[in-house]
Amino acid sequence: MGGAAVALDYDAELMLRVKDGDGASFAVLLEKHRSSVIHFVYRMVRNQAIAEELAQEVFLRVYRSRSSYEPTAKFTTWLFRIATHLALNSLRDGKNQRYEERLDDQVEDLPVRQVADHRPSVEQSMVFEARLDEVRRAVASLPDKQRAAVLMHKYEELEYSQIARVLNCSESAVKSLLFRAYETLRARLAYMA
Amino acid sequence: MNCPLETRENAALLVAHAARELGPDIAVRLDRHIAGCPACSEFMRRQQAVWDALDVWQPEPISPDFNRRLYARIEELEGQASWWQRLTGPRGPMPVRRAMPIAATAVVLLAAGLLMDRSRVPAAGPEQAQIEMLQPEQVEHALDDMETIRQFDRVMRSDSPDSKM
Repeated sequence: MGGAAVALDYDAELMLRVKDGDGASFAVLLEKHRSSVIHFVYRMVRNQAIAEELAQEVFLRVYRSRSSYEPTAKFTTWLFRIATHLALNSLRDGKNQRYEERLDDQVEDLPVRQVADHRPSVEQSMVFEARLDEVRRAVASLPDKQRAAVLMHKYEELEYSQIARVLNCSESAVKSLLFRAYETLRARLAYMA
Repeated sequence: MNCPLETRENAALLVAHAARELGPDIAVRLDRHIAGCPACSEFMRRQQAVWDALDVWQPEPISPDFNRRLYARIEELEGQASWWQRLTGPRGPMPVRRAMPIAATAVVLLAAGLLMDRSRVPAAGPEQAQIEMLQPEQVEHALDDMETIRQFDRVMRSDSPDSKM
């Protein structure tokens, strides 16, 4: 993850420019991190509309905090700390319960995804959707903090030290969280091999 | 090399190995151990299966108007803050910024003065209360009386020797 360190410096530099009133640098940061923040929050709250609302709040907070920004940590650590905080609060408040996309509806409602370049057969699509549904259920079954750790580790490729700072715990606690989370996932998903 | 599965701390190495996070030296040593250890081999197979399964969950597409909505909120935020920030912020006009402490002091003094003045005014007595309760006819009578006195005063002046001079 050496590239991430270089990216960090650049992100922090951009944020410092935002602090100096450079709106274009904010646009660059938004473009660079928008997808990862939305996708992370989506996998946390499992509702795309709420995920986008929360992601807007994340970037709004970044913008509002520009004047007090100090690059004491990696920009992405700070960003995901805000995102995780908002997602966990939303889950805790149960704001998304009413709107949570029902996992049962997913298989029927979502458009058929392609598993390869060629058009999949009905059977392939059904198998794929069943696998996807099982993965979503397995991740959803994890406790909030374990889920956040897995999502940051697997999909966002954050370092253990970053995840630790985001979740406000030690690196060894993060390793333990991840180990327990993957243990649960192995029990549910390993048959897919 | 001891079997990593003997302790949870070391077992986390296998998780990191499946995520391809380890340096080449330790990865080679682990691979060598895994090849001869059925328990670790099974662990890695299952962990790899989880890793691959998670790849299935691809994110949903993002709304095309996400940026537009965000910038609208930022603009709204800027609009709310601007009038006060423009006046008092570091980029505000210099005379206004300099005048702010003076204005604040003046407001405090004015408020204190009003409070002290209020405490000196006696409470409304029964006489004032009666005046407030006068009927319109009484006021009319009083005005008539005043007019009569004024006319009497004028007559008296015109009759006085000074006025004839």
